[in-house]
Amino acid sequence: MINYNKTREIGINILRRWILIFLVGEIVFFSIVGTNYLSLNNLQNILVASTTVLLLATGETFVIITGGIDLSIGFMVGFSSVVSAKVMVDLWAAGFSQTLAITIGILTALLLGLIPGFINGFLVAKLRVPPFIATFGMYGIAYGFAEIICNNVPVHNLPTSLGSLGHGYLFYWLPGKILSFLSKPENLSREELKHLVSIVPNVTVIAFIFIGIFAFILAKTKFGQHTYAIGGNINAAERAGVNVKVHLIKVYMISSFFASLAGAMYVLQFITGRAPAGSARLLDAVVAVVIGGASLSGGKGTIMGTVIGALIIGVLEIGLVNLSIPTYNLHIAVGCILIFAVLVDQFSPEIIHKEEEIR
Amino acid sequence: MKKLIIGILLICLVLSFVSVACAAKLKIAFMPGIADPFYFTMEKGAKAKAAELGVELIVGEYPKAWGPEYQVPILKALVARGDIDLLFTAPTSTEALIPVLKEISDSGIPIITVDTYLGDGDYTKPSNYNFPLAFIGTDNFLGGQVVAGQLALMLGGKGKVFLENTNPDVSSVMGRELGFRAGIKMFPDMELVGVEYCLDVQETAAAQVNAALLKNPDLGAVFGVNVFSAQGAYQAITSAGLEGAVKVATWDATETLIEALKRGEVDLILAQMPAEMGALCVEWGFKYLTEGAEIPRKVIPGFFVFTQENVNDPEAQKYIYK
Repeated sequence: MINYNKTREIGINILRRWILIFLVGEIVFFSIVGTNYLSLNNLQNILVASTTVLLLATGETFVIITGGIDLSIGFMVGFSSVVSAKVMVDLWAAGFSQTLAITIGILTALLLGLIPGFINGFLVAKLRVPPFIATFGMYGIAYGFAEIICNNVPVHNLPTSLGSLGHGYLFYWLPGKILSFLSKPENLSREELKHLVSIVPNVTVIAFIFIGIFAFILAKTKFGQHTYAIGGNINAAERAGVNVKVHLIKVYMISSFFASLAGAMYVLQFITGRAPAGSARLLDAVVAVVIGGASLSGGKGTIMGTVIGALIIGVLEIGLVNLSIPTYNLHIAVGCILIFAVLVDQFSPEIIHKEEEIR
Repeated sequence: MKKLIIGILLICLVLSFVSVACAAKLKIAFMPGIADPFYFTMEKGAKAKAAELGVELIVGEYPKAWGPEYQVPILKALVARGDIDLLFTAPTSTEALIPVLKEISDSGIPIITVDTYLGDGDYTKPSNYNFPLAFIGTDNFLGGQVVAGQLALMLGGKGKVFLENTNPDVSSVMGRELGFRAGIKMFPDMELVGVEYCLDVQETAAAQVNAALLKNPDLGAVFGVNVFSAQGAYQAITSAGLEGAVKVATWDATETLIEALKRGEVDLILAQMPAEMGALCVEWGFKYLTEGAEIPRKVIPGFFVFTQENVNDPEAQKYIYK
């Protein structure tokens, strides 16, 4: 009997943490089969390549926990990238310093990006438009406005220092000699450049600062509790005194804020603004949230789970490139993982919940 | 949970010691711009040359669409393998790829840009983009002029022409545009009535050419700078019932376009020499790595013009991308 209980407990633990185990399994697999997969350089690449999905999925987690969905974020990335790039180009051309132009560009995009979120939330909360329809409408509108602003041509002639920001690192370390913070040491010989170790990409730092803040908000604050409450049972939440309408508007604004942030990061990395930027990542973001343990019917999900979900996709993507396997296989793999995640979610709750009740 | 994390860290540690570097053949990496016959042909040329020289050619995945957001993640993952001796690539943006390739170059991997270049492509003067060893690719400006001249010949030296371009931040197609503009100016009775950018989307190209046809019912010819813009142009011309009346000139002798030329949908194709470009990259790269040879900063293979008259010549067949 004891043995049975023990195995059962292990089984449940594995089921609960299967995504983490899966992620580790992926990394181990690619490290063995791939070439230098487990190098600092490559691991940082995975984080950088996952930036858009990580940011979109974090915002989406809030919406999905309330039982809604935000489809507009796909084109919100493009909208925000075009707005910030355009502002940067115009200000720089008008004689502003590069730093000022870049800062104002990013802030403008982040602020303007709140408006579609507000409208989404207003439609869903006050006018009772189904989230799927409201945000799908906004998806098209954001794309259209982005194309108008950039005149159907990717924004170019951006400030030249963008690249050193977007591709820069927090630390540069020349073993035994220099440790430089934020700026790449100058006047290095070719030999020294070869040995320069770059640690923690800037875009990853920015992304994780915001992800961390919002993970805290969701897990530890009243705001987070209310978010779960609304997803669990909206009527009960209302009776308990949660201002559901205002809360939903805030949640949709969080989602569009993260999409705008992803757009700004896009400009830093790719030094251009394009209307369709990031639209291909919408599906990946929703998948990451679901793999991460959130339920589309609401009330469940964590930022930690979402981050792991996003990394599962990123690790796979970079792994396939490392092995020179065409990435369309990625879609098949991600599709399978998604379905598997939902299956685990459907069959495991009884076991896990029962177990928790017994305790 | 703690045990699990510690376990993971231990596994990672062990694996990082396991990674073995085996030094054998020289490894040259090729990072293409987009999945299309032009770069496929380039890979074939490079592969043949690599086999001849005993070099291993590692080909990055072909990006599904044109642009740094598709190319950069693949490029970074490719280079992170850490076993590459030299990289040749077609940067998908004159600006956005500068910091990315600079970092790779600084990490000790010499770079050759092929087909497209960084900045204005002049790597001899001081700039933040003069680090590649060389640019190996067609003189797009000259090619644009040649197309303009050939179209003028077809139209009897007078008439209206329209240019359907793809991306304003890509060196190759902008070179074609500038050359075409300059070429048309040489004919006083020729007029360039418009330029549009379709971003490699055929439907967009069709819509834009359609609008141009409505605005200019007497349009004489369209120059579509690549396969997507040319096919979009032809689509618009047929749906307006104007095939034959409006000439279509294009670039790149893909089998699709050669078939279109044979059917009379396209009237002129300028063929580049992608296989030769790929082979040149491997050859010069090999010479640089083994003998420290100085590579010319610019290497320009020629081109060939296909028309309906010569498309079936046995001599011309070798210029078709296969």
